[in-house]
Amino acid sequence: MSRLLSLFYRLLTVLAALAMVGAFGAVMLGVLGRQFDFNIRGLDAYAGYFIAATLFLALPDTLRKGDHIRVTLLLQQLPARVRNLFEYWGLITGFGLSAYLAFYSGRLVWQSYTVHDISQGADASPLWIPQLAMALGCIGFAIAMADALLARMQDRSFFATAEGEIAHIE
Amino acid sequence: MDITVAGLLIVIMIAILATGLWIGLTLLGVAVIAMEVFTAKSGGDSMVLTIWGSTTSWTLTALPLFLWMGEILFRSKLTQDMFKGLAPWLNNIPGRLLHTNVIGCGIFAAVSGSSAATCATIGKITLPELKKRGYPDDISMGSLAGSGTFGLMIPPSIIMIVYGVAADVSIAKLFVAGVIPGLMLMALFSTYIVIWSLLNKGKIPAADTQVSLLDKLKAGKNLIPIVSLIVVVIGAIYSGFATATESAAMGVLGSLVLSKVEGSLSWKSFNEGLFAACRVYCMIGLILAGAAFLTLSMGFIGLPREVAQFIGSLHLSPFMLIVMLTAFFVILGCFLDGISMVVLTMAVLLPTVQAAHIDLIWFGIFVVMVVEMAQITPPVGFNLFVLQGLTKRELPYLAKTALPFFFLLVLAVLVIYFFPQIVLIGPKLMG
Repeated sequence: MSRLLSLFYRLLTVLAALAMVGAFGAVMLGVLGRQFDFNIRGLDAYAGYFIAATLFLALPDTLRKGDHIRVTLLLQQLPARVRNLFEYWGLITGFGLSAYLAFYSGRLVWQSYTVHDISQGADASPLWIPQLAMALGCIGFAIAMADALLARMQDRSFFATAEGEIAHIE
Repeated sequence: MDITVAGLLIVIMIAILATGLWIGLTLLGVAVIAMEVFTAKSGGDSMVLTIWGSTTSWTLTALPLFLWMGEILFRSKLTQDMFKGLAPWLNNIPGRLLHTNVIGCGIFAAVSGSSAATCATIGKITLPELKKRGYPDDISMGSLAGSGTFGLMIPPSIIMIVYGVAADVSIAKLFVAGVIPGLMLMALFSTYIVIWSLLNKGKIPAADTQVSLLDKLKAGKNLIPIVSLIVVVIGAIYSGFATATESAAMGVLGSLVLSKVEGSLSWKSFNEGLFAACRVYCMIGLILAGAAFLTLSMGFIGLPREVAQFIGSLHLSPFMLIVMLTAFFVILGCFLDGISMVVLTMAVLLPTVQAAHIDLIWFGIFVVMVVEMAQITPPVGFNLFVLQGLTKRELPYLAKTALPFFFLLVLAVLVIYFFPQIVLIGPKLMG
């Protein structure tokens, strides 16, 4: 089961990476189009859909790699038993919120699909298609949170130990 | 809704943040609760719509692309070459190679949007080189920690994109506004190193063997790749050829080409860079998503207006307001990262800033400077963490070495307060 889940998170991450390349491609096509005088309608919107896909599809893997930031300053000062309590609180609340997000993003896809919601931009895409990536990512995120919570209860490891360097944000 | 309720909400948020819940989820959770308790609106549907709208914006697309570019450069040999190109030129200034930290970070900041990445990429090269030649640890590390923060001020800048999106200010204008303050900071830091070296003459090792001007010029050729990348990225924005987002894509392409040419690009390093960029963007994106909904829900319950009225009723002079905000940010910066600080402030303080008739571009640059301070103040200071990784020294020691540069940043805030033209002239010329 946990190998299957790992594969699932990995698959979502690969899709996230492809979406990043897609965003790059969409923006570059826009630049080239201006230079060589061709115009693909709605490229701006596609770039936006792609980065949203990157964001949401990468959620589970980012959680696993421990890259989502949180304030651990106080936690580190606490004795192990109290700290354990806070870890549970974080995982339970995290699961609750991510499930909430997953539910409503799934609902958004459904609504966009049933009312045939079309993008306001030049792309005029049916919105449920790009929104599907958000829903899929958020559902993956909720599953990963549940996985992390269960892992903690069963005393197995969910969070991967640091692998490779990451250049960091700030 | 009165000011006590507003205060209470803020306190609750800070308390939840302190419990170690992920920052993005905390913002989201507080927003959901505020929405459900204080309004008749359905929280969930407006939540996903807001998040969808804010995470698919064209402007925001610049952010992941700049992150990706940074990850590619971080894995290249570009900075090694840069050191070779710079070192011969700096040998005869008091402080000698210590200036490679300041100038190196300044140059790298012009292709990187992040402070910690700048600090890490430059530090990987300069710290061992300085150590080998016998430069004192404290000033080497302190000047690196301080100079790394140029990554925020000198465009491109991730934090400026975050601010620009949150405050609805043009990213290109912010980028232009950051140039002169960035150069000013470089001058300030270098001047400090010169003065320090003149006061501590015995501590600076002798110059490397002198080389002829011809050799210096030859070594300078090593700077061509990075300078051409700067020209592509920044030049495209300034000339009006490209938007910030487009210049980010061109930067990705440029850095891929450069690392291909110098031979550090492999399928493995390409993948590592790409996946790392996805994760970093995901991390920031979750905070941005939470903040977008928080901003909406705070707006619904009128909290920012309350805060603005309350602060307005104190009748602070503009100077006092800036002093108070600086103090507030410095304290907040001890616990939060820069991006969370910016999005939280914008969710709560934007009307206050507008009511005080502070120019939003100027305020953006001010916020960036204060976030720079936060990068080098313990216990949460990302540049200090990076340095800790590089040097294996204790955090308090590193914080102490960076302290003079903290005060230089305070000085810089005073300078831009009294001479706001330093910030505003760039965007004005742009029209």
